[in-house]
Amino acid sequence: MGEAALVNEALAEPVLRVRGFCKRYRRRSAVEGVDLTCARGEIYGLIGPDGAGKSSLMKALAGVLAFEAGRIEVFGVNIDSERAAEKVKDRIGFMPQGLGLNLYPELTVEENVDFFAQLRQVPAPALAERKQRLLKITRLAAFRARPMKQLSGGMKQKLGLVCTLIHEPALLILDEPTTGVDPVSRRDFWAILTGLLRERGITALISTAYLDEASRFHRLSLLYQGRLLDQGTPEQILARTPGSLIEFEAMDAGRILSRLRETFAQVEGYGARMRVFVPGCEPAQAKIAVTRALDGQFKAPLRSAEPELEDAFIALLNERGLVADDTRLRLPTDPGPVSDHQGQAVIEARGLCRDFGDFRAVDQVSFRVRRGGIFGLLGANGAGKTTVIKLLTGILHPSDGSGRVADADMRGAGQTIKARIGYMSQAFSLYQDLSALENIRLYAGIYGLDRKTTAERTAWVIAMAGLGGFENTLAGQLPLGVRQRLALGCALVHRPRVLFLDEPTSGVDPIGRRRFWEILFHLSRRDGVTILLTTHYMSEAEHCDQLALMHAGRIVADASPQAMILALQAEAGQLLELEVERPLEALALLEHRFEGVGLFGRRIHLFASSPDAAEATIRTLMQGAGIRLTALRARTPAMEDVFVYRVLALERGQGAP
Amino acid sequence: MKLARVRTIACKEWREILRDRLFFTTAFVVPLLIMLVLGYGLSLDVENIPFAVVDHDRSALSRDYVHRFSDSRYFDFRGYATSERALDPLLADSRIRLALIIPAQFQERLLADRPVAVQALIDGIFPFRAQTTKGYLSAINGQLNRELLSDYLARTRGLTPERAAELISPVRLQQRYLYNQAIESDWSMASGLLTLVLMVSPAFLTALGVVREKESGSIYNIYASTVSRGEFILGKLTPYVGVSAFNILIVWWVATEAFGAPFKGDPLFFFLASLIYVICTAGIGLLVSILVRTQVAAVLVTMVITFIPAMLYSGLLVPLESMGPAARSEAYLFPPVYFLQIAWGSFLKGLGIDALWFQVAVLAGYAALLWTVGLFAFSKRPRR
Repeated sequence: MGEAALVNEALAEPVLRVRGFCKRYRRRSAVEGVDLTCARGEIYGLIGPDGAGKSSLMKALAGVLAFEAGRIEVFGVNIDSERAAEKVKDRIGFMPQGLGLNLYPELTVEENVDFFAQLRQVPAPALAERKQRLLKITRLAAFRARPMKQLSGGMKQKLGLVCTLIHEPALLILDEPTTGVDPVSRRDFWAILTGLLRERGITALISTAYLDEASRFHRLSLLYQGRLLDQGTPEQILARTPGSLIEFEAMDAGRILSRLRETFAQVEGYGARMRVFVPGCEPAQAKIAVTRALDGQFKAPLRSAEPELEDAFIALLNERGLVADDTRLRLPTDPGPVSDHQGQAVIEARGLCRDFGDFRAVDQVSFRVRRGGIFGLLGANGAGKTTVIKLLTGILHPSDGSGRVADADMRGAGQTIKARIGYMSQAFSLYQDLSALENIRLYAGIYGLDRKTTAERTAWVIAMAGLGGFENTLAGQLPLGVRQRLALGCALVHRPRVLFLDEPTSGVDPIGRRRFWEILFHLSRRDGVTILLTTHYMSEAEHCDQLALMHAGRIVADASPQAMILALQAEAGQLLELEVERPLEALALLEHRFEGVGLFGRRIHLFASSPDAAEATIRTLMQGAGIRLTALRARTPAMEDVFVYRVLALERGQGAP
Repeated sequence: MKLARVRTIACKEWREILRDRLFFTTAFVVPLLIMLVLGYGLSLDVENIPFAVVDHDRSALSRDYVHRFSDSRYFDFRGYATSERALDPLLADSRIRLALIIPAQFQERLLADRPVAVQALIDGIFPFRAQTTKGYLSAINGQLNRELLSDYLARTRGLTPERAAELISPVRLQQRYLYNQAIESDWSMASGLLTLVLMVSPAFLTALGVVREKESGSIYNIYASTVSRGEFILGKLTPYVGVSAFNILIVWWVATEAFGAPFKGDPLFFFLASLIYVICTAGIGLLVSILVRTQVAAVLVTMVITFIPAMLYSGLLVPLESMGPAARSEAYLFPPVYFLQIAWGSFLKGLGIDALWFQVAVLAGYAALLWTVGLFAFSKRPRR
């Protein structure tokens, strides 16, 4: 029997069945009419940006949130009251959103696990056995006696998972378990989940804001502002949103981008690489359309590439007219600063260190950023990214090392630096109860701009950030994407030469993120503003000219994204993607033969130093086990692969566990 | 009800109280601080009233008159002012609270057996203090009048000074203060402050303890598990009641040792009555925690609904008898009134269960009511 048939049979008696689910908070509607069915043994994804309604739905399914309309059945029990919910709670493991926030910081790792086990009345012998096994596979066994508050973000998340699994639930409901977690821990997380799926046939409902994680799920639902956009397997969703992705390299990126944007809604520039999604077209037609739009101004080979789920997601939003703010950006040019010279380092860090007590948050960090460059600091929560920004902006003093920002030493010239830089913090640093206009004027006042310049710059910010129509709206009431651009505008009001952005795109939907990157690209290319930003979205990293991967306070790699990917391919080999029947069995066979073997929904990824020999080995193995191999192809590794490889190599070098 | 789960939750809570420095402080240090700060700071005794004098007479008798005030422990002589005008800034800046103006010919007229008028200017901003000041003034002034009168009688009727003194005060008032013989307001205040401390501290601990879990999201561990509401509430609140039981002993000790208040009642009765009070006030914290979602809101709400009844409506600062009928019936709605009667009864009057059973019963009723409402209002499947 094929797996499809198995799923169909399982769907006849689903673990979860949701019909017309609606959730309102006071008068605000959070979820409207969601239907969803999840079969036993499925890893089901809920994907969407902040405010999509993922958490509300998950809480309702876990029986911890009452809702207004619709019907939810879990294990065949209609969850319509607290009493009904109690009936299924012993079979559910629920992990709420927030990295380790549901754990008890003062308790040790072991005490946390014991608490959850005793709440669930796990008998002592079973607890001892499970605790040992789970702490071992999460590599937390060495930290049993450590208070939870002293764990890193990734460790907290894994401990949360252990605590959720300790009573061996048949259904896991995990709310954004991978947000802000370092890629290595994230990979561990998926490996553990795969193991559970294989050994115990659990069912898991998992939400994520990362669209690039979609391929990890068997099936998924795309949510946006409380509505269901589409659902099915990743392949089905891609197939239902026809379109082609065209890529090419261009030198004069800025001009070509604005030209293409006149015709196409989904255009992005990654450095010199252009990426255009043409909806509803075959690749050949799409190439013709792009060539026509370029109007003969540009002659270079166009490539077609496989669209990703994010392209489909945005196409769906555009198609349904669901885009929250559809202001078209008119990017004005700025006379810009004059004194800098192309090629000179505008930001320079030399051996920066910063200790907090015994804890070294930043360890020997060095890098250089040239004028007009976009430099990305990529890393998990707690890797030290924010501290580096605070050191460079003079908010914190380094314990060791030095740095220069815009021709000023950051140690001695705090005020000088501050006048030359713009800084946008994680929380967007806006005054929620002031209007957009008042916020801009306030920042102009803080930087001491005169009346004439203030008027000039205010107009510039409003045009640049597409705030037309929102001038008198309170900042707290702006849509997230607009608020983020307002914060950017406020950071730019005094025409700084250097811009520091701390997780500027966190929680913003993909369209908002793309708009934001459009502006950043424009600022760096046209106005020569040097940009340093931090992000934990691996997929965003490719927008940067230069990247530094940060892990545990250190920089583990520093190069352009393309160079990093090439270096990875040279060292680790080619990334291969397999489509097989019975992927779990195939995974077990391949795991010990190859590096970096991982399950992505029904597909398997692995690294092979010589692809041809590997292919032969794989075919032999599959044939021996009677597993049909339906496809085998090479893939370009993602930034996440680079990160995981570098960190693991570093840990191996140190002999760490 | 599974006792093992109650114990699990109680153990976890206990560990957190001990290990979280901020929470530990809230649990053990704050009650002590309230007791000490308010015990020392909130003395209702009016003493050392600063005063100045304008003496237009500058005679032996006028100086003697001033000495009668400056020698008393109730007044603090700050010096002579040259004129009435010079008094204004002193009074306005609160450097003095009382001014005496002695007219010219003070001595001359008194010796001539003619009346004189001395003017007293009293700062009336705080009526209680002004009233008390006036009382002291009249007493000292009356004493002088009686002396002058007995002198006159002795002189004119040829009586002995003792006989003259008897004649002018034929009815002597023999007064004795019961329960607090020295009328030390410290005694009453210290024992009364137990009412405040044991109202505020358990309520705060409970409200913060539960809301903190709501804020961090760890409450979902409880919501999502099969732990019943009763098990959770019992497990969660037991350590707070335990901490508060310990605090009863601490503040009791402070009241008797640091403030010297006598304890005349039955210690076991008082401890058990206090325990019931603490269970009742922990119930107030439980209700607050169900209503609010953030720790900031919990602090504000708990502050308002515990401090105000315990300070203003308990009879601690303002006697119930001097409240209007509306305020008085309001006061009887809050538990502190009853506990204050127990505290003063136990400390100062030496009363026991036979006299105070009604107050204890009311508190027990409150405790049962608050916990029951808490149990039903707590939801493992809330609307938000």
